[in-house]
Amino acid sequence: MSRIALDGVRKRFGATTALDGVDLEARDGELLVVVGPSGCGKSTLLRCVAGLEAVDEGAIRIGERDVTGVRPAARNVSMVFQSYALFPHLTVRENIAFGLVVREEPKKVVNERVAEASALVGVVEFLERRPYELSGGERQRVALARALVRRPDAFLLDEPLSNLDAGTRVEMRTELRRLHREIGSTMVHVTHDQVEALTLGDRIAVLDAGRVRQVGTPDEVYSRPVDRFVAGFLGTPAMNFLEPPAASRFYEIPDGTVLGVRPEHVRLGAEGVPTRVDLVEVAGSDAYVHLDRGLVARVPADSRPAEGAGVGAAFDRGAAHLFDEATGERREWQ
Amino acid sequence: MRAGERKWGGWRQPAAIAVAVAFLLPLWFMISGSLREPGLPPPRAPELIPRPISTASYDEAFDLVDLAQHTVNSLIVAALTVPLAVLVASLAGFALLLLAGRARAILIGLSFAALMIPVTALLVPRFTMFRWLGLIDTWAPLVAPALIGLSPFYVLLFYWSFRRLPPELLEAARLEGMQPFAMWRRVGMPLVRPVTIAVGLLAFIASWGNFLEPLVYLFDPDLYTLPLGLRSLETLDRTNYPMLLAGAVVATAPVVLAFVIAQRYFLHEDRGAGWLGR
Repeated sequence: MSRIALDGVRKRFGATTALDGVDLEARDGELLVVVGPSGCGKSTLLRCVAGLEAVDEGAIRIGERDVTGVRPAARNVSMVFQSYALFPHLTVRENIAFGLVVREEPKKVVNERVAEASALVGVVEFLERRPYELSGGERQRVALARALVRRPDAFLLDEPLSNLDAGTRVEMRTELRRLHREIGSTMVHVTHDQVEALTLGDRIAVLDAGRVRQVGTPDEVYSRPVDRFVAGFLGTPAMNFLEPPAASRFYEIPDGTVLGVRPEHVRLGAEGVPTRVDLVEVAGSDAYVHLDRGLVARVPADSRPAEGAGVGAAFDRGAAHLFDEATGERREWQ
Repeated sequence: MRAGERKWGGWRQPAAIAVAVAFLLPLWFMISGSLREPGLPPPRAPELIPRPISTASYDEAFDLVDLAQHTVNSLIVAALTVPLAVLVASLAGFALLLLAGRARAILIGLSFAALMIPVTALLVPRFTMFRWLGLIDTWAPLVAPALIGLSPFYVLLFYWSFRRLPPELLEAARLEGMQPFAMWRRVGMPLVRPVTIAVGLLAFIASWGNFLEPLVYLFDPDLYTLPLGLRSLETLDRTNYPMLLAGAVVATAPVVLAFVIAQRYFLHEDRGAGWLGR
């Protein structure tokens, strides 16, 4: 068992509260993605699990062990850093073997494990090179191999794809998913990139201002956000929020609520509420159509309306969400 | 080429040559002066190459004073001082890095304060201490400052260098179970090699050219270091400039040689982009 559980974890840095009573569980063998905006405490959460930061309150368990006060090395977790943290003076082989050498494993075991890990992530041909001779993607693979080689209870990945270019990031995302399927270990992956979170995670935890807003499968979190923050944070373009006067042009909503609808659910055509097209952004196969009613619609690029054209906007009531105006919490349609 | 490089690019080379000439000329005149016949007065006009060239001044300097012994003594003192100073300064610098913020700030403040104290102000209390310890007329007082890294400046230099390393490197080492001493030895030191060499060179220059402390602590001529040997030359035949300059060349040559050997390590570090993972 290598589940990771945080129970009421609080962490402060002076007057700033980085983690404010976090309860979270990464199930055994699960790839849990923690996503949130910059400064929401997601890296701090990971560092607390790794033992690089001491928690002020609460408990952390890895498997059945309470590791709250345990030193980092004894927690038996591997961490992949955003900057990869490869030792520049060591070769790729020495970098991968580092943890085993520090633990004074027999040379035969070290060689076997290095060969196994480097083959798994595809860095066999770079073993005698130094990190500064590698590309970003190759360095990332080496960092993964270094994490794998020790066969830890769990893997902690701190924005490992954020320094890569767009193409390599997509490629490495797939690699990570494949790797997780092959080794089946518990992984906690931290990112600010919602696309990465939605595509990579078995489950997603959305973090904001040191608090977990929602935990669930990507589908659940995307289609049934528990509050306005989660609804607005996930999705590109962001969810449309309509206050009562504008919302009532589409549907009657209860007092003190805000209506939310995702851009891909907004239909443009002859029917619906008359609006005018303010701006059109084309993003490959999709177009983001900004309407003068404060709405954004995502439509296929080849059927986009022209800027300045008058169109009707509509969406199904079942696709719309209601949020409390004061608390931002989700409300159900009556 | 960046804008700044373009702006200064044309001036850089002549400026570098001018600075090099300003520093090399005195060295050249020292060497050429040492190759004049012994006993000759200084030339009336600058003399680039003396006529005739003679090495007799060197023979005379070594005959008059036991410069060979003094050179060996200086080498022994430097050989003890330099590694010890580098070891202690680097360990102290690394320890500063690992300390918690407040304790570190206090120690850095104290190091700066210690830097402000002139060496001469400590001469009398130090002399009293070493006399009480029975270490006067030994090399111990010359080597002892290396036990505190020779100077707080060297400790701070190491601290600043370690601080430049990405913190994730040390965190990765911690996660693998490395203890602080192993981190210093296997992660920190290999990554600050240019600074280690620079500090070693500075410590060597400080030890090699140290005149005041040997003058205060050493009485036995057999223990004299080279700067005291030069003073003996000056005392015994103060008008024999070629011989005095020959002694000066003997004293200067190892420092220049050490710099020439070391500079390739700290002036030409080029390991390509992303060397420190940034």
